[in-house]
Amino acid sequence: MTSPTPSPPFAIEIANLTVSYGPVPALLDISVKIPAGSLVGIIGPNGSGKSTFIKSILGFVRPDVGEVKIFGESAEQAKGQVAYVPQRGSVDWDFPITVREVAMMGRYGAVPWWKDLGRRDRQIADQALEMVRMQEFAHRQIGQLSGGQQQRVFMARAMAQGAEILLLDEPFAGVDAATERAILDVLAQTKKAGRTLLVVHHDLATAAEYFDRLLLLKQRLFAFGPPQAVLHPRLLSEVYEGNLRVFADMQSREFVADDEVSR
Amino acid sequence: MSLAWDLFVAPLESQAFQKALLGGSLVAIVCGVMGCFIILRRMAFLGDALSHAMLAGVTAGYLFMQILFGVEAHAPAMLIGSIVAGIVTVALISFVSKVSRIKEDTAIGIMYTGIFAVGGVLASVFSHRIHIDLYHFIAGMVLGVGDEDLWLMAIVAAIVLATVILLFRHLQLTSFDPVMAASLGFPVVALDYVLTACTSLVVVSAVNVVGVILVVGLLVTPAATAYLLCNRLSRMMMISALFGVTSVVAGLYVSTWIGKVATGPSIVIASTLQFMVVLAVAPKYGLIADWLRRRSMVPQRLVEDILGTFRYSSDNRLAFADIASHLHDSPSHEAVRRALRSLERQNLMTESAGTWVLTDEGELEAKRLLRAHRLWESYLQHVGTPLDELHNQAHQLEHLHDEETVDYLDDMLGHPILDPHGQEIPEDFMHLVPGEPVKASLLRESMSATVVEVADELAKFDVAVPSIITAGPRTDGDAIWTFHLEDGRTIHLNHDQADQITVVLVSPQD
Repeated sequence: MTSPTPSPPFAIEIANLTVSYGPVPALLDISVKIPAGSLVGIIGPNGSGKSTFIKSILGFVRPDVGEVKIFGESAEQAKGQVAYVPQRGSVDWDFPITVREVAMMGRYGAVPWWKDLGRRDRQIADQALEMVRMQEFAHRQIGQLSGGQQQRVFMARAMAQGAEILLLDEPFAGVDAATERAILDVLAQTKKAGRTLLVVHHDLATAAEYFDRLLLLKQRLFAFGPPQAVLHPRLLSEVYEGNLRVFADMQSREFVADDEVSR
Repeated sequence: MSLAWDLFVAPLESQAFQKALLGGSLVAIVCGVMGCFIILRRMAFLGDALSHAMLAGVTAGYLFMQILFGVEAHAPAMLIGSIVAGIVTVALISFVSKVSRIKEDTAIGIMYTGIFAVGGVLASVFSHRIHIDLYHFIAGMVLGVGDEDLWLMAIVAAIVLATVILLFRHLQLTSFDPVMAASLGFPVVALDYVLTACTSLVVVSAVNVVGVILVVGLLVTPAATAYLLCNRLSRMMMISALFGVTSVVAGLYVSTWIGKVATGPSIVIASTLQFMVVLAVAPKYGLIADWLRRRSMVPQRLVEDILGTFRYSSDNRLAFADIASHLHDSPSHEAVRRALRSLERQNLMTESAGTWVLTDEGELEAKRLLRAHRLWESYLQHVGTPLDELHNQAHQLEHLHDEETVDYLDDMLGHPILDPHGQEIPEDFMHLVPGEPVKASLLRESMSATVVEVADELAKFDVAVPSIITAGPRTDGDAIWTFHLEDGRTIHLNHDQADQITVVLVSPQD
């Protein structure tokens, strides 16, 4: 009679997470449950602990208190379930490596070191490239692609990894409008495939438009929820400490942080 | 025939030469392979540091065996000493750069010179006990390698190659994307140490061939040469090993032919020359290829100037000679032809029997440029440029023709109809298309449009929404817009007011 109603599966469950490097904690008492299949923007001022937050999810740091669970497993044990898509600036685009080889890297975690990658792994990598429509560039060196294509290659790598959770580090930093659209396209497609996406983002003005949920971070978790709720002037002025100009537009409110404007 | 024999085969009869060839090639292969990691991870300076640190290790190993066991020049002890010295150097470097504000390259500079100096002091204090030729250590002496050295080289090569082959994916990923490697649970730090240990081994065996000073050349140069040719790490390693071997072979032969030339330097010169040649001729990343690419690139300016020449044609057709004669800075015919081919590829132009014809797209593009040119002329007049300089300056400026720039000029000048020479400026055909809402100020005489929005400030003119308005002639120095309304009235608006009516152009057939 009473089949247990399936509770919505949480991709990431963080409970009372505190992480510190020195006397001041980088993250303090963070508890949040991120539902599977959502597209979450992580926002917060510089030095607000965004990168520590990412590192915690990747299982790189040992928390002082609390725990991070990836689909119910502790982050340290869940290595490989979260795929990391690096910032464009941190990739050596002259590295002698082709598009296909990058996609194949997604399979490296699944094959023990003494074995070669098998035919099945090659297939998975090729399928991932197909999914982001990059198969025709498979043999190009990665430096010979446009910005949007480069992003797609790394998305393909994350897909080939079979990870359910993708962590993107500032994918929109320093890209032109066309690339931005291309990246949004890939994000939407990945989301449609049921993946959970966490995107570190810098630009408050576009945050509402890009993501279903926002996670506002500054040492503590200030808000997690739909953009309209998170981008609340009072909340933002608290987090950005008045370094914020609020531009009231006719239809929508836009917020631009001061440090962004002065750059 | 006999000359070739003398040059190439005769040296092979010497056993020293054979050993040098074998040992040198073994070393060159591993140097080439490790060199790829070294240049991709920007560790060249570290390689240099490791080779210098060896002096301390070799001396310490020598003294250890000689003092404790009375064994002279015990090769394994010297090898172990060098590796220990290498690892100590690396540990000190990472310690200093981690705990202080000193950056890594400076830390390398401090530590390797320090350790090299310790080696120098040891070697001179115990010079009565140490019977090794320091000069050979510094400059290398591949023609003097003994069987023991050969064994050492073979073992090093086997260990290093086996490590690289077994751990290829790990080393590749930690070099390319250490964060992902860590997220997959790869032991990134341990892998770094594996690479450093392999580099130490390679450096130790390479010192025999080219000496401390030139080791970096053998490590880095063949790898850099391969880097210019390859798009895949695995292939880069093979090609790099090959280039290492060819430079050893070439260097050995040349030093034998000339005689009296130290082999180490001639090997490094050979690999440097190899690099220079590849830098020039590499198909993708070479200088000549780059030059050719740049030469075949058609300057956008010329392409636009060619499109501009079609304003002298009434039917969008021009012969090649006419195009060339209308062009300002008389570019070479070759360049014009290339630009025309490029226009053809972009479907802006077609050729038929020696005459060039604009396509519809080409006509639109030409019109866009013409509009930019004439708006710039109007702007220049507006800012007080003498009339006789207008054309030439506008000719430079018309290449700034992105939509926003042109729209700004148009709006700022009050949507002029004629340029300073009295020629008509094409209307804003980019925005003025049926279906797209635009400001009424963009309408030219006799154009009709549907009103979709009127600002409250214009209430006194009582323009109905929706209704059709038709533009009349502009008056008062083109500053007053005239519109005929549906109900028969005629209203006169200034620029600001005309901007406050939003209209959608009625397509001609409606």
